[in-house]
Amino acid sequence: MTDRLREIIDEFQSAPDEFRVEMLLERARQFPPLPEKYRALREKGLGRVHECMAEVYFFPEVKDGAVRIHSDIPGEAPTQRALVGILMEAYDGASPEAVAQIPPDLLRQLGIAPLLGVQRQQGFSGIVSRLQHSIAEASS
Amino acid sequence: MSDYAHPDVLVSTDWVSHHLADTANVRVIESNEDILLYATGHLHNAVHVDWTNDLQDPDVRDYISTKQFERLCSRLGIHEDTTVVFYGDKSNWWACYAFWTFKMFGHKDCRIMDGGRAKWVAEGRVMTTDVPTFESADYDASEPDTSIRAFRDDVMNHMKDGGQMVDVRSPQEYIGEVTHMAGYPQEGALRGGHIPGASNVPWSRAAGEDGTFKSRDELEAIYLEEQGLNPKEDMIAYCRIGERSSHTWFVLKYLLGFENVRNYDGSWTEWGNLVGAPIEKGEPDEN
Repeated sequence: MTDRLREIIDEFQSAPDEFRVEMLLERARQFPPLPEKYRALREKGLGRVHECMAEVYFFPEVKDGAVRIHSDIPGEAPTQRALVGILMEAYDGASPEAVAQIPPDLLRQLGIAPLLGVQRQQGFSGIVSRLQHSIAEASS
Repeated sequence: MSDYAHPDVLVSTDWVSHHLADTANVRVIESNEDILLYATGHLHNAVHVDWTNDLQDPDVRDYISTKQFERLCSRLGIHEDTTVVFYGDKSNWWACYAFWTFKMFGHKDCRIMDGGRAKWVAEGRVMTTDVPTFESADYDASEPDTSIRAFRDDVMNHMKDGGQMVDVRSPQEYIGEVTHMAGYPQEGALRGGHIPGASNVPWSRAAGEDGTFKSRDELEAIYLEEQGLNPKEDMIAYCRIGERSSHTWFVLKYLLGFENVRNYDGSWTEWGNLVGAPIEKGEPDEN
């Protein structure tokens, strides 16, 4: 686990349940826009995570062994924006190996698994495995 | 909208905007795929009902009990005679799912706002983050109405009788090829394919690009002419967990007037795991 992810988990764990929703909404609001250079690919539908019901797009970069995740997710999917936003921040500059080891129980560690319910948790694990797959491809 | 079999269950964004203040008689409910979406902004006086946290039992794979449904309505200030209008994201998938659940508990006056949340937003109408509270209501619900819900044994018997069924998942899920795609999460089903005899009409074919339902003529062209389904015969709709199929259930029952349509909410996550359940793969005409 990266240091930044540990910090984010600590922030969530120390917050009361009702405040976690506000923390997720804040992250959804601050989700960064997709860099201009990926706009055209996005318009062509490339990078789409087909496993996810929301329109989630990933454009991962691996430069000199360091990962940077770019993503585009519409405002109508604030939960995915918040969760992917956490991954983008927690794994910025990390190694592809670190991404391959994203904790499978991350949502439980963040204390938001009960809020999401089983099916939404499965949807998120689909997003994580697609991200790991695309970063493994980009680094090979 | 007037051409539909039961046009009164579908209301326009205009109708809703004129009834938002009538909280004594009308309750507007937002139901979404995304659990945080309501909190980012919703219709004035609209309450939030989440399909998983509010409508499903947390332990048993089933819906809430009649008592819990009564408590939900009581909390939302809904009486037995309240007009309940549902809207949501994803072309009203979850709105239809909540509508179906309310119908199962016998709520009389349920409606869908055509076009859902996306149409309201596209029209630039007012949204708020204020969460309304209403005086709690006494609510007396009926025992669940299973005439609109199919269980696995019902589906098995229906299949053996050669009854008509519609699988509303994507063609890839229906054909059964998704189980063979590398790196594709299985989302809880051990086998791919479809229930023998089911036709494949992805739910989205019933919706236009703006999320509104297609016209009756367009819907008849798909379900009656192309698929040859008969509105007078028993019908079952299913998908993966029963949400997309509640959208098609709504279309068949209320817009096209099918007389007896049930939603199989166990859907593929039950059938695709059921020991011994027959499965067909590929296109129907290949079998």
